[in-house]
Amino acid sequence: MTTLPLPAIMMLAFGVIVVYGGLAYFIYRAIRKK
Amino acid sequence: MKNEHWNTRFAFIMAAIGSAVGLGNVWRFPYICYENGGGAFLIPYFVALFTAGIPLMILEFSIGHWARHAPPEAFKKIGRKWEWFGWWSTFVPFTIAIYYVVIMAWCFSYMIYAINLQWGGQATSFFQNFLGDTGSITNIGGISLPIVFGLIAVWACIFLILYKGVKRIGKVVALTVPIPTILLIILTIRGLTLPGAMEGISYYLTPNFSALTDVNVWLAAYAQVFFSLGVAQGIMITYASFLKKKSDITNNAFIVSLADAGTSFLAGFTVFSVVGYLASAQGIGIQALGQQIAGPNLTFITYPTAISLLPFAAAFFGVIFFIALLTFGIDSAFSMIEPVSSGIHQKWKISKAKTTGIICLIGFLLSLFFTMGNGLHLVDMLDHFVANFGLVLIGLIECIILGWMYTLHKLRRHANETSEIKLGRWWEYLIKFVIPGVLLTLLAMSIINNITDPYMGYPWWVIIGVGVTPVVSIVIISVILSKIKNKESKA
Repeated sequence: MTTLPLPAIMMLAFGVIVVYGGLAYFIYRAIRKK
Repeated sequence: MKNEHWNTRFAFIMAAIGSAVGLGNVWRFPYICYENGGGAFLIPYFVALFTAGIPLMILEFSIGHWARHAPPEAFKKIGRKWEWFGWWSTFVPFTIAIYYVVIMAWCFSYMIYAINLQWGGQATSFFQNFLGDTGSITNIGGISLPIVFGLIAVWACIFLILYKGVKRIGKVVALTVPIPTILLIILTIRGLTLPGAMEGISYYLTPNFSALTDVNVWLAAYAQVFFSLGVAQGIMITYASFLKKKSDITNNAFIVSLADAGTSFLAGFTVFSVVGYLASAQGIGIQALGQQIAGPNLTFITYPTAISLLPFAAAFFGVIFFIALLTFGIDSAFSMIEPVSSGIHQKWKISKAKTTGIICLIGFLLSLFFTMGNGLHLVDMLDHFVANFGLVLIGLIECIILGWMYTLHKLRRHANETSEIKLGRWWEYLIKFVIPGVLLTLLAMSIINNITDPYMGYPWWVIIGVGVTPVVSIVIISVILSKIKNKESKA
């Protein structure tokens, strides 16, 4: 089984942080405001 | 007329996410990403999301919340002369719904076929036989009865969800938004455990940073964000018009847009893990699959082929794949009907049930055109013209009307009154300059490309008859509807 090359892993981390991190942050703000 | 409201903020967010997330997240984003620099595409994609997608979403939420009406009455409130534009922005999604529902009818049939993997090892010929495909847009062929039955089922669902108003939509989306996401996660986990999956993911994410110097890659990112979020379709304006007075507009727009992006990003893993497995099982390179990784080819040929090669529980994964697509699609489909239905209901005070029933019946009858042997080609052609001209033009004119002819700072102030995150002048600059600039470039490129290289090499009479005529007809119908007076106007 091949592993993911390092640049791909870095883009994966970048995508996860921006999209899911961002989503979690704004959901947190919405819940906190409640 | 009593104003309708969402039961909860959660219901609104789910409905807006359900509308934005659709088949395109699964069959378009992964391929566009792969074609435009792999993982490096994420950079222009996120730039486009934050400089165009989210600002436009905030704009549409603001106008809907401010006007408290669907687009026709909302734009009339801005200026009586803009009512036609409001109608136009409701008829474009209705037109999209007419063929979008046909694709859902295909998914409905395939969900049943998946129970015993009826396509066997011959997914390509099975799909062609299923459609009764004549191979040409000019050769009409016969009606496919399984598609007609699927259409009846999907249109009936849309009617049943919409005719009671937004409260029922809120209840439906509480199920139809999380379910496909959970199914997509299950499919992704299964995909990632298959041999060859990592090669697929590697193709999806390995960045080619030189692509970032290509202006077309940036335009592809803006186009992807624009088409995926469901803006410029009157949907977000209509949904936001049902929000309660004290609603956080800005934060909602961020949540909806990021949820849409998150689904696209996840779908890339679902698609490319299985594509990697298929390429590995067939002993071919992923490049050899080419266009088979996108659109209907991915859904009805490539993915089913890979499913039939699964070592165990193939039928189970086949069924949940099509259930996921159906549940992703249904929220988008009924959201495309809601603006025109609400528009007619609000202007002529016709009951919601009657309006929705008539719209769904007309939609069903028009969808029948796509059940013929040339249906696949008609869907492709109409989608090309409606998306590249109808949607882009609406987005452009919306920015011009609201940015240049109406005092945009009033809308900014309106959003800031109820939102936790305050909008600065930067938002106005994006609506006035950046977004119209990008949309104008996309429109110019589409016009040039279609003139120099007619779409799919079709003759001009086909392009004008099937592609241009519906786009122009929608504008004419919109102008006519704006001229017909309601009782209040007559009084």
